[in-house]
Amino acid sequence: MTLRLQPVCVRTGSTDAESQLVFEDGSLVAVLTHLSDEYGDEAGMWFLEVGFGPVDDPRSPKFTDLDEAQNWIRRKLTDFSAHGGP
Amino acid sequence: MSSAPDDHSLDMLIRKLESIATLSDEERQAIRSLPAKTRVLQPRQDIVRDGDKPSQCCLILDGWAYRYKLIGGGRRQIFSFHVAGDIPDLQSLRLHTMDHSLATLTQATVAFLPHESLRDLTTRFPSLTAILWRDTLIDAAVFREWMTGMGRRDAFERIAHLFCELYLKLQAVGLAQSYRCPLPITQVDLGDALGLSNVHVNRVLQEMRGRGLITLHSGTLVIEAWDELMRACEFDPTYLHLEKRAAA
Repeated sequence: MTLRLQPVCVRTGSTDAESQLVFEDGSLVAVLTHLSDEYGDEAGMWFLEVGFGPVDDPRSPKFTDLDEAQNWIRRKLTDFSAHGGP
Repeated sequence: MSSAPDDHSLDMLIRKLESIATLSDEERQAIRSLPAKTRVLQPRQDIVRDGDKPSQCCLILDGWAYRYKLIGGGRRQIFSFHVAGDIPDLQSLRLHTMDHSLATLTQATVAFLPHESLRDLTTRFPSLTAILWRDTLIDAAVFREWMTGMGRRDAFERIAHLFCELYLKLQAVGLAQSYRCPLPITQVDLGDALGLSNVHVNRVLQEMRGRGLITLHSGTLVIEAWDELMRACEFDPTYLHLEKRAAA
């Protein structure tokens, strides 16, 4: 499974506007936001701003880097397919 | 240690009940004579857990507590925050198995009141039963507001609404004034209470500060623009059913 990232500016209303759109097979599956210095210990982490379909998660996870985020997204998509998702 | 009748720890409960109802001298005296075991608890310590069958209720004398439930994947929902004068597990008097947990948020002094003594009190004083019932009805009214918030209010409105609610509740029992109150709640706690991520909580707090509505520093919340904050979240204090509201 190949994910494609596209840098984008998201108007979060905060200083953490640097984001990445995450596509799988041409479909948008998630938006990740880079947390700014406002977030103390979590500054620099990538936050699941929104996840679509199986990538939605009420825990709003954060990742240390984009690789970790993409691995997590791949796992969610794979688990979904393995459990009979479309 | 057990409190003697002249120990006024139970005055906290009287003050709370008097914020929502009127008590007679006899009722006040009956409350004061309840046996109470006082304990100092550390922050983030469970007082009673989901599934427990307690034989006593917990009156908060000092500090903060919260009710919560854990579900799979480490997800936590906070149902309510409690301060001095509250008996957050009053329901255990009639519902014998806890369906959620109660824990301290800060270091807290609590008084444990045996169910047997509370039952005896409510048998002897039906008027106090009515006041405790009123308290649980107000508890339910607060739940309705939280449900409305989580279902239909945006992140800004949810947080603004909670700040207005906490300020008025604290003010009613003499723990806040001049639009200033203690707020020992972390951003993660706020998120778990309001169905938000701590990232969204952080953004909203920045926006509130930026608009000059609040300042939040060292565990103290100052509401700089009360009317505007109330308007922004359509806050209507009717659901708190406070009997008397001291001047802000």
